[in-house]
Amino acid sequence: MIFDEQFDVVVIGGGHAGCEAASAAARLGATTALLTLNLDLIGQMSCNPAIGGIGKGHLVREIDALGGIMGRVIDRTGIQFRLLNRSRGPAVQAPRAQADRALYRVEMRRTLEATPNLSLRQGLVTELIVTNDRICGVELQDTRRIAARTVVVATGTFLNGRIHTGRNSYGGGRAGEPPSTELAATLKRLGFPVGRLKTGTPPRLDRRTIDWDAFDPQPPDEQPVPFSFSTDEILQKQLNCYIGYTNETLHETIRKNLHESPLYSGAIKGIGPRYCPSIEDKIVKFPTKDRHQLFIEPEGHSTNEVYLNGFSTSLPAQLQQELVSLIRGFEEAQIIRPGYAIEYDFVDPRELTPFLETTRISGLFLAGQINGTTGYEEAACQGLLAGINAALSALGRAPFRLDRRESYIGVLVDDLIRNGVDEPYRMFTSRSEYRLALRHDNADERLETYGRDLGLVGDEDWNRFNQRRRRLAFAKSLLETRLTRSDSRYESARMLVGQDLSDSITLRQLALRPHADAESIMRLLPDAERSQITIGDLQTALADGLYSGYLIAQEATLRRLNQHDTLKIPPQFSYSGLASLSREMIERLERVRPGSFGQARQIPGMTPAALSNLLVHLVA
Amino acid sequence: MFQTDSIVALSTPPGRSGIGVIRISGPDAIDILRQLTDSPTFNPEPNLLTLKKIVNPFSGEILDQALVCFFKGPHSFTGEDVLELHCHGSPIVLRAVIDVVLKLNARLANPGEFSLRAVANGRMQLTEAEAIRDLIDAQTEQAVRQATRQLEGEISQRLKPAKDMLVEIIVRLESSLEFVEDDLPAVEQDQIIEKLEDLRTDLTALAFTFSQGRLLHEGLTVALVGRPNVGKSSLFNMLLGHSRAIVTDIPGTTRDTISEPIDIDGVPIVLIDTAGIRGSTNEIETLGIDRTRQQAADADLIVAIFDGSMPLTDEDGIVLSEVETKRHVIAINKSDLETFSPNGLLDRPVSPKSCVESVTVSAKTSAGLDDLRAAILKPFDRGNSSPEGLLITNARHHDLLTRAIEELTSSERLVRERASEELTLVGLHNALKFLGQITGETTTEEMLGQIFSTFCIGK
Repeated sequence: MIFDEQFDVVVIGGGHAGCEAASAAARLGATTALLTLNLDLIGQMSCNPAIGGIGKGHLVREIDALGGIMGRVIDRTGIQFRLLNRSRGPAVQAPRAQADRALYRVEMRRTLEATPNLSLRQGLVTELIVTNDRICGVELQDTRRIAARTVVVATGTFLNGRIHTGRNSYGGGRAGEPPSTELAATLKRLGFPVGRLKTGTPPRLDRRTIDWDAFDPQPPDEQPVPFSFSTDEILQKQLNCYIGYTNETLHETIRKNLHESPLYSGAIKGIGPRYCPSIEDKIVKFPTKDRHQLFIEPEGHSTNEVYLNGFSTSLPAQLQQELVSLIRGFEEAQIIRPGYAIEYDFVDPRELTPFLETTRISGLFLAGQINGTTGYEEAACQGLLAGINAALSALGRAPFRLDRRESYIGVLVDDLIRNGVDEPYRMFTSRSEYRLALRHDNADERLETYGRDLGLVGDEDWNRFNQRRRRLAFAKSLLETRLTRSDSRYESARMLVGQDLSDSITLRQLALRPHADAESIMRLLPDAERSQITIGDLQTALADGLYSGYLIAQEATLRRLNQHDTLKIPPQFSYSGLASLSREMIERLERVRPGSFGQARQIPGMTPAALSNLLVHLVA
Repeated sequence: MFQTDSIVALSTPPGRSGIGVIRISGPDAIDILRQLTDSPTFNPEPNLLTLKKIVNPFSGEILDQALVCFFKGPHSFTGEDVLELHCHGSPIVLRAVIDVVLKLNARLANPGEFSLRAVANGRMQLTEAEAIRDLIDAQTEQAVRQATRQLEGEISQRLKPAKDMLVEIIVRLESSLEFVEDDLPAVEQDQIIEKLEDLRTDLTALAFTFSQGRLLHEGLTVALVGRPNVGKSSLFNMLLGHSRAIVTDIPGTTRDTISEPIDIDGVPIVLIDTAGIRGSTNEIETLGIDRTRQQAADADLIVAIFDGSMPLTDEDGIVLSEVETKRHVIAINKSDLETFSPNGLLDRPVSPKSCVESVTVSAKTSAGLDDLRAAILKPFDRGNSSPEGLLITNARHHDLLTRAIEELTSSERLVRERASEELTLVGLHNALKFLGQITGETTTEEMLGQIFSTFCIGK
C-alpha cells in the first residue's frame, strides 16, 4: 500500500478534542499530524464563547494539571473571568471565563504550531484504512493517503451534520462549513453502532444596535482566578457581560409559531441536551414561567458580535429577528448570524475501553462530541486522554487511565463507557460520589504527578508544582498556630469574628467562625510568614482541613455500602440464569455488560434482590 | 476470604423456644467473645461449648448465662471465625445481646448472608445452598417466605413518599449548587429544615412501627376492654396469676389503666386492664375512659369481655362496635353461673378480619383459661419462618432506617448552621443510599432527570 506521508499518530479534527489530542501526542514524542477541514478554524468555539463553569471548570483544571493546553489558552484569551459559587464551599467553586472567540482560535493555533513533532494538514478524511481489525491510516478527499500507527477521531458535530433553520435544512458540520459524510459512512460500515444527537446555538447580534442601558451588567471578578496552574495573572483587559429577560409577548409569539420549529415539527430526530434547551423548549416545558433569563456576551474587544446566551433556537431566521426585537433593549437590534440547530452522528461510547480506544478496531481512538458528550471541556479532556493513549500505543508504552475516584475526567469516561448516553452528556459535580475530594484547586495535587510521569509536564511546571506543595505544607503548619490571650493578635481575631474565643485557639479553628475567611486569616499571620505563601495556598490548606473529616466518614460509609464493588463479572456471564431478574433487566445487563459488581449496582432499575442474587452467583 | 466485616444474626426462630442461638461470623468474632464474657485474654478452645456469663461491656450489666462455642476459620460454617451464643430463648434477652454485639463492630447480616459467605469461602456448593433453600428463599423476589416478601414490598411502598421527599430536597440543593447562574428560585433554608424534620419524623415513626421490634422491646400489648363489671379485672388477675387490680362489686371501680407484663409460651405480653367503657359524667371516669379508648386503639390485640350470664346491654353494643375494626378476641365471662348463656355472642357473625376467636371463660374457676391464652397468641403465630427470617428482616430494615435517620439529623444540623450545601448533601445522599438498600437505588441519571423536569436550566 502506498502512503504519501506517515506518522505515529493522526488526529482527525481541529476542535477542542483534536487540539488536546494532537498537542499531547506530539509532546509525548510521537510524530503527530492534525488533519482538519479548515486550518483557519482550529480551536473554533461552535457556540458559547466561554470556558468553564461548575463541573466544566473542574475538567479544565484537571486537563491543565495533566499537562494539557486548554487552561493556558483560555487564560491568555479570556475577557470576563468569574469564580462561581464564591459564597459556598471550595469543593463546588469553579472558574469560568468568557473568551474572545477569535483570539482563542489564534492562540490555540499558535500553541500547536509551536509544538515539536506536530504537523498541521488541511484536508477532509473520507476513509479509515483498516487491515485485520487494525487501523493503518487514513485517506483524504484529495486522494492523499496518510499512514498512522494510531488514529484519533475527534470530528465533533461534523459526522453527517445537518443544520436546521425553520423549514430549511442542509448538510453542514457548523454554519458555513461542510459536513463529513464519507467518514460517517465508513464508521457505519465498520460496524460501529451510531446514533443521532442534536444541539443548537443562538443568534449573534450587532453590538452597535443594542440599547445597553436596558440590561443589568455582570462584571468580571476583581481578582480573576486563572485556569492554569502556570498562570500568575490575567493580563487581558476584562469586560462586562449583561443580563436580560424574555417576556410573555415573546413567549406568545413563539407559541404561535411552534410549527415552524424543526424540533416540534418532527424534522429533527436527534435528542438534545436537557440542560441546553432551545428557547422553544423552555417555553413549551415551563409555560408558567413568565420570563427567562438571557446573558448578553460580547465576543471580544475588537468585534461587534455579541452572543445571546439562553436563546438557542432553530426557528426561521426572519422570525428570529422579529422575536429578538420583542426583547427590551433589543428593539433596534440586528442579527448578524441567526441561530440554528444541528443534528449529527455519534458512536455509542460503550464501544470504548477506559483508554478511549475502540474495542472493534485496535489503534482507533474516539474523542469528544463523537462519543456523545456536549461541551468544549468535555471534549478536550477526552482528546487529552485519547491523544496520550494513541501516542503511548504507537510508542509501545503501557496505556494510561484515570479512576473516577480521583478526577472528573475519570467520572466522565467511566460514565460514558459503562452507561452509554441517552442524551448529550455534560459534566456536573453531582455525577461524582467524591465531590468533596475533587476540588478545582487541588487538581494539581491529584494529577500533576501523572502528567510528569507521562512526560507532559515540563520542568518549569514541575518545579512550580513542587514549590506550591512546599508552600501548602507550610500553610498547613501555619494554620496550627495557636493564638492565646496574651498574643498581640488575639484581640484582632476576636473582633474579626465578633465572638468570644477560648483561651487558646488555632488559626484553623478560627477559620470555622463567621467572617474568618482566608484573606482575614492571612492578615493575622506575621509578616515574615505571610510573605512566604499566596492567598491561594492558604485557601487550599483551609479547604483540605474543612473537608477532611467528611471525607474520612464518607469513605467508611461508601465502603460499607459498596463493599462488593470490585468483584469482577466474567465477560461471558449469563444473566438469564438468575432467578429474580425481569426479562427487561436481563436484556439491559446483557447490553451493558458491566465489568464489575460495582458497575452493575449503578444500573438504573437494579433491585436489591436482583443484586443479592447476582452476588451469590458471582461468589460461587 | 472476600469479606472484611463481621455479621451477626439470630439463628433460631424467635419466641417459642427455650434456647436462642446468636451467630457471629467474621474477624471480630473472637474479640466480641472476649468482650461479652469480660475475659480479655480468653482463648477459647474451638468446637467446645462452655457455660459463660454474657455481660454488656459498656454497662457491666449481666445479660444472660449462655453456652458459647467458638469455631476457628476455615473450619466453620462460613469459613470465617464463627461464634455461637446459645442463650435463653427470651426475645428480650436475645435482643439485648444482639444490640450489644452491634456496638462491638458487627452489623446485622443480610438475609442469607451466612450461607453467602459459606459459598464464597468454598464451604458449601451453590447447589447445596440452593438445595437448602435458605439462600434462594431469602434472596429472590419469589421468596417463599410470604411474610418476608410482603413486608419488603409493603415497606418499599411505605417508604416511597419519604424517598420522593428526600430526592426532592436533594434536587433542590443540587440545582442551587450546580446551576448557580440560572434564574432559579432561592432556596428557602427554613423550608428545607421543615421538610427534613417532617422526613425524619416520618421515618422515625416507621422505624418504630415494626411490630416485631415492638414485640421484643415492649411486648405484645393486649388490652382488656368491656363495660363496667363484666369481670375485666378478675380476668386480668386470672391471666396474671395473682391479684393485682382492685376488684370490687361497684361498677366503675378501676379508674385508671393498669398494665402488667406476662409471658404466654415465651411471648412477652403487656396486659392492660382498662376502665369500663360507658357513658359517664364523672370527670375522672371520663379521663379513664378516654385513655381506654387510646389503649384499645394502640393495642396489638383487644380482648373484649362480656358477661355471659345476662343479655347484651346497650353498653355492650358500644363495646362491640368499637372493637369491630380492630383485631380482637371475644371472651364471654362468668361461665360458672347458672344463667350463663353465650348465644348471641358465639353465634353472632364473626367478622373474620378482626375477630380472632370467641371463647367462654370463668374468671372465678379459671375455666377456659388455656383457650383464652391460645386465642391471644393465635394472630401472632409465625408458623415456619426461616431461621434468619422475619426478625432479621425487620431488624435489618430498622437498622437501615436508623442509619438513614442519623444522616438526616446531621444534615439538618448543617442546614441550621447555614453550612455550604455540598456538606449537607453528603448526609442526604448517604440517607438515600441507605433507603435504597431497601427499595432500590436512585441513580444519578434519575436525579438529574428530576432536576431538569423541575427547573428550567439553560445557559
